[in-house]
Amino acid sequence: MSALSEVQSWRVRHTTSYAYDDVVTDSIGLGHLVPRSLPWQQVASYAVTTDPEASDVSHDEDHYGNVATYFQITEPHTRLEIEAVSEVTVSDAAPPEDDLGRAWETARPLVSPRLPGAWLATDFALPSAAVAQVPEAAAYAEASFGTGRPLGEAVTDLVARLHADLDYDPTATTVTSTVAEVLASRAGVCQDFAHLALACLRSQGLAARYVSGYLATDPAPGRDRVVGADASHAWVAVWVPSPDGGDGSWLAVDPTNDQRAGTRYVTVAWGRDYGDVAPLKGVIVTEARESTLTVSVDVAPR
Amino acid sequence: MSVLRDYAGAVAQPTLAGPGEQARYDEVVGPDGSLRPAWKGLAETVVGLTSRDLRRADGDVSAMLADDGVPASWQLDPVPLLIDAATWAPLEVGLAQRGELLNALLVDLYGERRLLREGVVPAAVVLGHAGYTRVVSRPGALDPRPLVLAATDLGRDAQGRWHVLADRTQAPSGLGLTMENRRVTSRVLPELYREAGLHRIEPYFSALRSALLQSAQGDLADPRVVVLSPGSHSATAYDQAFVASALGFPLVQGSDLLVRDGWVMMRAAGGGGRLERVDVILRRVDTAWSDPLELRGDSRLGVAGLVQAVRRGRVRVVNGLGAGVLENPALMAFLPAVCEALLGEQLRLPSVRTWWCGEPDSLDHVLAHSDRLLVRPVDGSPLPATASRREVETRVLAEPHRWVGQERLPLSQAPTWGAEGRTTGRAAAASLSLRTFTLRYGSAYRPLVGGLATVVDGLALDGSAADRPSASKDVWVLKAAPTDPDQGLAEVLPLASAPAVTVLSPRVLEDLFWFGRYAERAEDALRLVLTVHAYVEDYRTRPRSRGGASTEVLRGAVLRLAGAGVDDVDEEFRSLLLDAGREGSPAHALARLREVLQGVRDQFSLDTWRGFGTIDRAGAALHAERHSHQVAESGGRMLTGVLAVHGVTTSMVRDVGWHVLEAGRHLERALQVCHLLAATTTVRRGIDVDREVLVGVLTATESVVTHRRRYRGSVRPAGVLELLLFDTDNPRALAFALDALRVHLAAQPHSTGSTRAERLLADLRETVDGTDVATLVAIGGVGRPHLERFLAQTLRSLDRLAEAVHDVHFAAGPAPRPLAAVATTEVHR
Repeated sequence: MSALSEVQSWRVRHTTSYAYDDVVTDSIGLGHLVPRSLPWQQVASYAVTTDPEASDVSHDEDHYGNVATYFQITEPHTRLEIEAVSEVTVSDAAPPEDDLGRAWETARPLVSPRLPGAWLATDFALPSAAVAQVPEAAAYAEASFGTGRPLGEAVTDLVARLHADLDYDPTATTVTSTVAEVLASRAGVCQDFAHLALACLRSQGLAARYVSGYLATDPAPGRDRVVGADASHAWVAVWVPSPDGGDGSWLAVDPTNDQRAGTRYVTVAWGRDYGDVAPLKGVIVTEARESTLTVSVDVAPR
Repeated sequence: MSVLRDYAGAVAQPTLAGPGEQARYDEVVGPDGSLRPAWKGLAETVVGLTSRDLRRADGDVSAMLADDGVPASWQLDPVPLLIDAATWAPLEVGLAQRGELLNALLVDLYGERRLLREGVVPAAVVLGHAGYTRVVSRPGALDPRPLVLAATDLGRDAQGRWHVLADRTQAPSGLGLTMENRRVTSRVLPELYREAGLHRIEPYFSALRSALLQSAQGDLADPRVVVLSPGSHSATAYDQAFVASALGFPLVQGSDLLVRDGWVMMRAAGGGGRLERVDVILRRVDTAWSDPLELRGDSRLGVAGLVQAVRRGRVRVVNGLGAGVLENPALMAFLPAVCEALLGEQLRLPSVRTWWCGEPDSLDHVLAHSDRLLVRPVDGSPLPATASRREVETRVLAEPHRWVGQERLPLSQAPTWGAEGRTTGRAAAASLSLRTFTLRYGSAYRPLVGGLATVVDGLALDGSAADRPSASKDVWVLKAAPTDPDQGLAEVLPLASAPAVTVLSPRVLEDLFWFGRYAERAEDALRLVLTVHAYVEDYRTRPRSRGGASTEVLRGAVLRLAGAGVDDVDEEFRSLLLDAGREGSPAHALARLREVLQGVRDQFSLDTWRGFGTIDRAGAALHAERHSHQVAESGGRMLTGVLAVHGVTTSMVRDVGWHVLEAGRHLERALQVCHLLAATTTVRRGIDVDREVLVGVLTATESVVTHRRRYRGSVRPAGVLELLLFDTDNPRALAFALDALRVHLAAQPHSTGSTRAERLLADLRETVDGTDVATLVAIGGVGRPHLERFLAQTLRSLDRLAEAVHDVHFAAGPAPRPLAAVATTEVHR
């Protein structure tokens, strides 16, 4: 699928800056900015710096095993810059073809709670705050989930349909758009594609998680530039149970670009939806009424 | 006539249970018609209670609750629920086990999650519940004792066996009201109380206090504990304030706290934004609202960064964040297995039978029997009993894992006075549930020996009965032997040894300032209204006399403050005294005073509320009696009430809080006297009318006697103005108020001697000093232009001063907001 080699190393620089129209005297933030260490992803180094300097910073592992960065800035400021730099090596990881070949009905944790790993996958099979269970999503998904269809094939089909039916349009939605709105407007950004995909997959009883990260967009020779450049990216991963033991594996697919997430995809964090893994959120103390947010993401081969 | 004997007779009648109703267990009368053991020992006293006794007790209960400031929605039945020691003993063991079990369950759900992994509890039961708080479930962030205080709602089946209806672990309420119920019931039925030999509640509060102090991390010598309240508008504000003040811990709101470098700090009065570290938070704010950074971003009730501080172990929150996950009724279906798995014991206290719809067999059962089960989502209100089978099916099948069906327990019944008693003089049989409390004290869980019984409406039974305004009953658990220590806690130190803690945040200071202002405003407005009313009564029949003219002038002073009112004179007075929505009226000032007091309730003794009891009764009397004399009667009693409220402040410690209250009081007094004079003395209406007006002014300012002493009965403008504006010895005078204001402001932590407030005050004082009465009374046309200008300028200065006081002393800065709440323009590079 990918023209790249099976192992790829990247240097990611993700800079976020806020400029306020008044002084901020206290700012507490929480970010998911440091890539996860995974069997298929090694994190060689990472650093998160803020300007002004934070008086309190810590990196902790959150409920889903992501690195959560907490910081507080008590120096009065009108501009805040957060820069996260990391070096990672990603290898291709796909679930065993045998597991992908089983009927999708066998991968529903609520129906088969005794499957190894089903209890963990359950968290991603239930509706979540940003991915409500809506009948429209179930109706849309049904076409891809014929009785007994192999799981891998059904998911690939759904992702292809979403890619075909939805327009990539940053003006169509906002960060709080709901699944029903995205489905009605048939347009959105990667986050909307991902949320809708999750709603479809979960409507069939499958477990699917939201993955936040980066997509390297250097156009390969003879190929078009991929959408999602210069920003955080989001895709989904579907639980693939393995009856032979272990908690199963996850099939990562990108509905925005209709492809499996391969070595171009740097995984930062996963959760039930965007709300669990927002790159940055914060609470500020200020009289400011407006802010200007500048985000720049650079994923370079190394 | 014996109420209890009547009741026993009626219960013995088979007709009492309506058609189709299940038989209930009666708490007082056994199946053979004899009294239950707890009541038997008291037979003589109990049987001696007549309907007259209970009618009196019922009236006394209402009066006492009002005197203690308990919201009118809280009803207490005078007849307590008695439980003998032998009946209580197994319940106590069961509750202790349940406390331990729920704590262990909480530890597992946020830690190892062995129960989910092994399928003892299906994962969807827990993960599908809104109370499961993932941000506190992290490796290394585990609180080993997340459950400190739990409440359990229980009901009895037809055989008298106890079943748990609901577990309350989020932020259990009712302990304060339990104590209040006891205070009142013991006083209205003193003979019965003395004879009963029951467990007193006080030692339990001492134990709670000690448990909270011991909750602090590490080995702190003097940990700071606060009670975090969602604010005075919360439904259980009374309960929270009662607990805070009984424990001697400050009652704070989210805005009083902040996180600084990972520690939770309290904004403390004391200058320079002084912060004090908080070690333990007894939380009455639900988890979801506790931290706008990591939980609900739209919450104004929490503290940004709290979750992180908890995870680092720098503050203990009681009960732990996320404890609400235990309120999930679906867990009840699995508790026996959980108990075996975690404690290796059998569950002693059964829960009401529960079927979790996430399991196919249970789902079938619930759908097949939805007409006689209570069908409810795991984290919401139950479906009404009137829901059709089809409706239930649609809702449940959409997400079965989020629903349970629960058996409807018949519940036990007990004699209750209530509306029936008030009309017929008989006690009716009403069903009830029992709320109990369990505290982790030392290494074990100790149930409160006692509780809160709630009279429930059988149809609406949903286990949350105690949160609804319905009648409650005090629960008397009798001692096995008179020598048994109260609560079985012989070793607990009495609360009296606890050092009082006062910490004042800008919010608290502001409330105290307004307390002073509204108390003064209410007093002044009541005095004025009473004065005017007396004039109206006096001259009612002689409108054209000089008295009639002066009455109109004085009424003008009322209108100046309270705006145009009702045409009818009598209705107008009633409106002024009763219409809390009419700004400037005494009723409005009283209502605001009460509201402000809610926010600083823990700072005042319970006596404060007795004044409001007087005010409420005076208002009720005025509602009931339309005759004009009732205005004077009720208004006079309201004034007594306000003075009583004010009187309580004389015994306050002379700290920053007292000074700010006095500052508010004197600022308001200065404003009120200027308004009154501006409305009455700036226009001349003939010597006789003016004199009558001045007498009214002196009456309304409580200065008649002083004036007589100074001026020997000769009432002239110059004398009155001298007395009310410039006399530095007269506490009613402007100059006196300004001098007092200076002293009280100087005691504030942010005062430097040169703050804007102090500068404005100094300027004003100088202007007053430089003005002489002779100039003010000088006549120009129909009025006194100098006086008019002077009063208008003074009022403006006082308003500016009031603003400056706010800016200098109460400004807590902007409230924390989520980044997402700031209008953001996104730029991509």
